[in-house]
Amino acid sequence: MTEDQDDFKVRAQRILVRVLLALRSESKRPPVGSTDAFRDDLRAETLADRIMLDFPHRVLPIGLAAVVLLVVFCSLPLVHDLLPASGMVAQSTPVAAVVESGLKERGADMSEGMNAIREIVLPFASGDAPIEPTRMAPPSEAVAPFKKS
Amino acid sequence: MMDPKTERQTIQRARKGDRDAVAELIKSYQRPLEAFLFRLCGKPELAEDIAQEAFVRVIKSLDRFDERFRFSTWLFTIGKRLLLNHHQKMKPVTDSEVVEFRAHDHRTPYAAAEGVERSTRITAMIAIGLDALVSPQREIVLLFHQQGWPVERISAELKMPEGTVKSHLFRARRRMLTAIELSGTPNPEEVFL
Repeated sequence: MTEDQDDFKVRAQRILVRVLLALRSESKRPPVGSTDAFRDDLRAETLADRIMLDFPHRVLPIGLAAVVLLVVFCSLPLVHDLLPASGMVAQSTPVAAVVESGLKERGADMSEGMNAIREIVLPFASGDAPIEPTRMAPPSEAVAPFKKS
Repeated sequence: MMDPKTERQTIQRARKGDRDAVAELIKSYQRPLEAFLFRLCGKPELAEDIAQEAFVRVIKSLDRFDERFRFSTWLFTIGKRLLLNHHQKMKPVTDSEVVEFRAHDHRTPYAAAEGVERSTRITAMIAIGLDALVSPQREIVLLFHQQGWPVERISAELKMPEGTVKSHLFRARRRMLTAIELSGTPNPEEVFL
């Protein structure tokens, strides 16, 4: 390599160093008070205002909806307690009426059945001896089915 | 940029809807993000638009931010994704449009060849160097040299081993050097900061 080529190389390296230093200075903030700094600050303020314009719109509806839901949820037991007092719950709903009438019908059927059984059993029972349920001997008194040793 | 503690406090305030905290976050990261996006896409207006969109998305989703990570990492990831989405949506630029764009762009070799002011030559050299890089070298160079991120943070962000990041950095700098040499290497004294 000749001396000229060496010199050429060294000069290129020096330029590269300056290029890299210049690159570094690009990302630094301009000195306070300079026109560039003023312009940067102005742009930043404008952008911040623009962002903040959307900020409340985004947050408020969600926050309000959450508060309303919370209030409704918390007041449900209170409303439930208040309604019977005002007589609103006392009125039977159609579903409750259907269930109630169904139960009444079943009850009537059962009492009819009981009467029928009583009529069948009555002739077999002697008139002087009232029908009593068979007394079950307690296990200790019960006769063992095998001889005691 | 903010230190991690201040950053966490500012984020907490911003989450509660503190407008000043939002403005502070934007002021801190606006320029680094725009510089990063600009060097990825080469268009200042697009970089500014994408950066704004990234801020809007990130600040509106602050509730989902995991405080174990750095805010800037999240912001830069969103910004990069938005830029990629934009490139995917846009139709390919025709050759004539590229020539027209470059002819009016002082950051390109064309402008450098036209003999523009000395102060813009360094900008032209940056573009020459970065144009020589392929993905992900360009991104790694930008995160390391422009944003000052340490290798381990870049490694975590790009999900590649630290050794690979270092290797990409080494190759990228060599490519940039070659590109600068090929561009005719003006006198370094003319390329001042």
